[in-house]
Amino acid sequence: MYIETLSNLYGISGFEDEVVEYIKKSISNRVMDLKEDFIKNLIAFIPGKIHDFKLAIFAHTDEVGLMITRVNDDGTLKFSPVGGVDPRVLVGKRVKIGKEVEGVIGFKPIHLQHSEKVSPSFDNLSIFVGENYKKVTVGDPVHFTTKFEESGDFYVGKAFDDRAGCAVLIDMIQSVSEFPCDTYFVFASQEEVGLRGSGVAIANLNVDAALVVEGTTAGDNPELESEHWSTHVGNGPAIVSVHSGYVVDKSMFENLVKIASENSIPFQIKRRTAGGTDAARIARVGRGTPAGVVAIPSRYIHSPVSVISKSDFHHTSELLKAFIESGVFLS
Amino acid sequence: MNVDVLKSLLETFGPSGREEKVRDKIVELIKNLVDGYRVDKLGNLIAWKNGTGPNKKRVLFDAHMDQIGVVVTYKDENDFLRVEPVGGITPQVIYGMRLNFDGTIGVVGVERETSKAYKENLKNLDFDKMFVDIVTSNGSNIEVGSFGVYDAKPIFAEKKVMSPALDDRIGCAMLVELLNVVDNPYNDLYLAFSVQEEHSLAGASVEAFDIKPDIAVAVDVTASADTPKADKRTSMIMGKGPAIKVMDSLSVSNVKVVELLKRTAENNNLRYQMEVLHMGGTDAFGIERTAEGVLTGALSIPTRYIHTPSEVCNLEDANEGVKLMKILIEEEITF
Repeated sequence: MYIETLSNLYGISGFEDEVVEYIKKSISNRVMDLKEDFIKNLIAFIPGKIHDFKLAIFAHTDEVGLMITRVNDDGTLKFSPVGGVDPRVLVGKRVKIGKEVEGVIGFKPIHLQHSEKVSPSFDNLSIFVGENYKKVTVGDPVHFTTKFEESGDFYVGKAFDDRAGCAVLIDMIQSVSEFPCDTYFVFASQEEVGLRGSGVAIANLNVDAALVVEGTTAGDNPELESEHWSTHVGNGPAIVSVHSGYVVDKSMFENLVKIASENSIPFQIKRRTAGGTDAARIARVGRGTPAGVVAIPSRYIHSPVSVISKSDFHHTSELLKAFIESGVFLS
Repeated sequence: MNVDVLKSLLETFGPSGREEKVRDKIVELIKNLVDGYRVDKLGNLIAWKNGTGPNKKRVLFDAHMDQIGVVVTYKDENDFLRVEPVGGITPQVIYGMRLNFDGTIGVVGVERETSKAYKENLKNLDFDKMFVDIVTSNGSNIEVGSFGVYDAKPIFAEKKVMSPALDDRIGCAMLVELLNVVDNPYNDLYLAFSVQEEHSLAGASVEAFDIKPDIAVAVDVTASADTPKADKRTSMIMGKGPAIKVMDSLSVSNVKVVELLKRTAENNNLRYQMEVLHMGGTDAFGIERTAEGVLTGALSIPTRYIHTPSEVCNLEDANEGVKLMKILIEEEITF
């Protein structure tokens, strides 16, 4: 399964090489024209039935993680987040530093905490690697090591934001028999650190519209009242109406809702407006490209382990295929 | 200033991302006054009128069509809605207030399970503690993803106008007025009526890409500091003339544009004031960094109670601003 391999691959922002290589291999049978640019975007072109309308479909290859900022000779390492990582989720987690060094993130043990409860922060957390500190350099990427698993109706693993989106794109490339218009698949880098890859990619493409396929916040924890959830895992792909940095194009939004309804594909409209996607960058580069956003609800997103629903994942693929094949966005 | 034009623009529904009704109205108002217009892919309306001067410049005036609003994020089994702001709405402003969901009206309530909780909620009001009760329909026409705006009527009293969405329909009305009064333009006049300023400046970021203007001026409102205990650090006064912006929290106006606006006002005995705002931002931020960069400034109408349902400004400031823009279009520009 693409999603299993993609979830297990390592690729924090700026270090997406493994992911790009894997995607290249996975689509080269169907795609003649593959381009990479300096910022590690991978752009695959598939000609469609008509050539005077061009669509770009985006998913980002990078994941959140950490980067080494200081190496101590007592075998401990200090680090900073790459993308939005809550330091409170890091205590006791295993990580991989660079290609081979294994480490564990440590914090003051509970026995010594007494009454003063200090929250974990990037100042008071360290990675312990023992003697292997000699193999570590400042600037090395740090990845979570959670292995992909299937559990009932769920996929459990790391980096579903946005390897799940990458898997959906590969699936589309492999299974859509004919694209209604010229279509670019953009596997974009550095989304988590400020929508950077997509800005470069869209500046070099002259397209009429874009779609962004993302992993998004669920926030459907039982201690929150349901009216404050963002999305609910299992309720179908989330179609986004408004998010940070961009009010999603009205006709793309409405057409996605229409196609889902007509094809009886379960969907939900994302409720909270916090968080952004590459759509915010795509809209404001060059002469501007309108985008629609479809997202797979992901519980415990931006942590070492998150959970998505198999059915949401498959319905996202189904919705996007139906949307593309309908050509509804062409008019 | 044509008060009827302003009134009709103020009464038109158009939160960020849902500006199409405002755009249609403006197209009706300007289509016979311009040499051409187009709507770009993000929804910005771009119109132009060609100049005839031998050393003509390309001058872009911008105003944003959108107003602040809310988007529905949840609807419960009794059709009570939860909303989040699209643009800068302070929750305190909307408790007990009517919201207009493109024709359907609701009222904003606050959770109050206990007296203590109610007091606490009022003290630390946020959107998570508020809901909207739809009154004029059974709510079936409102869905998650529907947009709303303040429900309040514009009031005109002599030179003053009080209304929601003066930010920035006053700017839109000024650009429409400019087209009505401009006579034999020397410079090429471009007008951009932009989308999504209040949410993210998305429209302004791309509107100038194909225009490649020599100078651009964003026409918008600014915070007037002339009410009891108003901001101590700023000096804008309603009725003292349009404000030539030097800086706000998002951009520093290009000094050539500032000097040009100032000199033009001075030479023509137009009233004006200078503006430095230590908060806020305008479309100038998006325009100035387009392509290889654009010389950009801003002309502001001092306005009280910005982002409330009752923004107040003085029409004379707007009229004076239109005169200034007219001269910029009709005379040769030298830096």
